[in-house]
Amino acid sequence: MFHLYPDLLNLYGDRGNVMAFARRCRWRGIDVEVRQISLGEKVSFKEADFLFLGGGSDREQNLMAGDLAARKEQLREAVEEGLVVLAICGGYQLLGKYYRTLDGKEIPGLGILDLYTRAGRERLIGNVAVEMEINGMTHRVVGFENHAGRTFLGDLKPLGKVLAGRGNNGEDGFEGARYNNVFCSYLHGPLLPKNTVLADNFIALALKRRGWREELRPLDDSFEKAAVDTMLKRIL
Amino acid sequence: MIVRFILALWAARLAMFVARVTGRGKGSSLPGKIALKIYPRILKQLGRQIKKGIIVVTGTNGKTTTNNMIAGIVGDNKGSGVIINREGANLITGVTAAFIRAAGPFGGLHADYACLEVDEASFPGVVREITPDIVVVTNFFRDQLDRYGELDKTIALVKDALKKLDSVRLVLNADDPLVAQLGRVTGKPSVFFGLARHPGVSGTGSAAREAKFCPFCGAELAYSYYQYSQLGNYKCPGCEFARPQTDVEGVDPGVDGMLVSCRVRFRQGNMYPLQIPVTGLYNLYNGLAACSVGLLLDIDMDGIRSSLAGYLPATGRMEKFLYRGKPVLLNLVKNPTGFNEGLSTLLSVPAERVNVLIAINDNDADGRDISWLWDVDFEVLSGAGEKFGTFVCSGRRAWEMAVRLKYAGVREETVTVLEDFDQAVRTALEGTGDMSYFLATYTALWPVERILSGYAQRERTLPESVPSISGSVKSVR
Ligand SMILES: [Zn+2]
Repeated sequence: MFHLYPDLLNLYGDRGNVMAFARRCRWRGIDVEVRQISLGEKVSFKEADFLFLGGGSDREQNLMAGDLAARKEQLREAVEEGLVVLAICGGYQLLGKYYRTLDGKEIPGLGILDLYTRAGRERLIGNVAVEMEINGMTHRVVGFENHAGRTFLGDLKPLGKVLAGRGNNGEDGFEGARYNNVFCSYLHGPLLPKNTVLADNFIALALKRRGWREELRPLDDSFEKAAVDTMLKRIL
Repeated sequence: MIVRFILALWAARLAMFVARVTGRGKGSSLPGKIALKIYPRILKQLGRQIKKGIIVVTGTNGKTTTNNMIAGIVGDNKGSGVIINREGANLITGVTAAFIRAAGPFGGLHADYACLEVDEASFPGVVREITPDIVVVTNFFRDQLDRYGELDKTIALVKDALKKLDSVRLVLNADDPLVAQLGRVTGKPSVFFGLARHPGVSGTGSAAREAKFCPFCGAELAYSYYQYSQLGNYKCPGCEFARPQTDVEGVDPGVDGMLVSCRVRFRQGNMYPLQIPVTGLYNLYNGLAACSVGLLLDIDMDGIRSSLAGYLPATGRMEKFLYRGKPVLLNLVKNPTGFNEGLSTLLSVPAERVNVLIAINDNDADGRDISWLWDVDFEVLSGAGEKFGTFVCSGRRAWEMAVRLKYAGVREETVTVLEDFDQAVRTALEGTGDMSYFLATYTALWPVERILSGYAQRERTLPESVPSISGSVKSVR
């Protein structure tokens, strides 16, 4: 697993997502190595099974964008080849075409996904519940959003339907984006520890690419389920 | 004008009276709100009457403790009246209420000093109305992001407000680069306090570290050691920014049970022993900040030392209770750094086994976003398995807390989730430990404290809230 720029992007407990992925592998006896990738570090995305990209403050985000721009083609290729990616908040926006600021300036993104973001005046903040389909089953996922950007999808599937909260832009009722094995979302919270179905989905996808054919062994998720149910009860 | 002023004063007083009689709206911002609505200049009018000095404490953690320590030092050594705002009432409404409470029926004030803790985001608004002579900045950490936006913006707000103050003197934490930079960017005369290197410092920073880059040139700061979080000895490789030379430095710090100590060196000169009945190294920073203010006010070191030696923690700042002869500690947590401080105290308490209660709410005052729990290093608990009898998780986000402990490597069998505070407190107290340690977020603290004081006896009592005139700060000791 590659965790991009953890020393830079430390907002919103991002490392919780990394912990959840790694722990849930280890609890099943699956070896996992978390590599923390810093600015300028030489890496090949071909070596990664799962890549996590979080969000940061404006300044940090600019540093991250600059560094990733130099790796754009490599990342695009990896995504086309099915690299499993989770991108949240700023990481999500960055994968798109551009971010338009309030005064109309367009900051180019990596252009890997067909989406764009424009700044809104009011920040969209609060608890969110999203219904999404994973492996043909419908699941409810909860998290917390805090973003000024409004993201609009082009020829892309959203991650799910907003049941409570604002989602991508507060207008079209969708949240996040999906392309190949790339999953984007505005939900932090963090997302993976309590939404175990998502976490396990990433593990399963990553293993599948490695030629693994077995089903994932189920774990006791009673704490996680209770945390999700409590929030669903509150906001739905 | 004078009519409105008096009207505002009386309306606010009435609201305070109603709150007291009905027992509701305790700690509410309503009286201050009413007063400011009726007469927006009321705070300016009242603040002008302070005769000798206004001291404002801002920053993320340690405001209440530092401000209470300062008020104690000033009250003990300068005698006549000190106005202080009630703990946590640190928005402009709370500051206004403190002045109103101390004012006479026609708005007259007879106080030489005001010691005010002011929320970082409210700081610009408050200092537009009252002109502080000394501003203390404790530290900057990430706190309740969903309310304030990002830390950079908060610091910029404080910075700009400081620049506009004319004859202010600053008391700054030298070990926190985010705070220390304020000396240079504002150009105001500054006194720096900090802790010297000691055997407990660490070579690596924690995950919750905020400042990584030089505020002046953007290069990554190089640290020779860390005290905790981003506090330590730093130097910019790209420009001349570095930890400033300290005026007040704590040497050989020690944490011994419920007492912290060090020797204080003032301006590279004499050393004075200092002891404060509080826990955790971070409280030593608060003590050093208070020392610095005392020295700026020309109070002699002996007077400062004896005030600090008699310091009583306020509600939820490591308050101590006794339950059937076993100690219970209650501590407020509100951000990753404060929580990490709490956990390191928890690991060092002199007990074989500890019952732990963690109460997490997500109301506005707690921060609605609880993702910060994932920036707290709960992993330190997994290594100390035998030390903990039980972990009781409570509050609106009790399950979330249980999930966090699980992923930190705490065994699930030791975790009990009881959202109801009363059940949670009772279960924790009845655990197998020989002491209990309670951690609670802001809005969980009050119910937990109330329930706890029903079962256990408070070891030493400070009145429910800090008195507004500190002639009495002394007399309650
Ligand atoms: Zn520099």
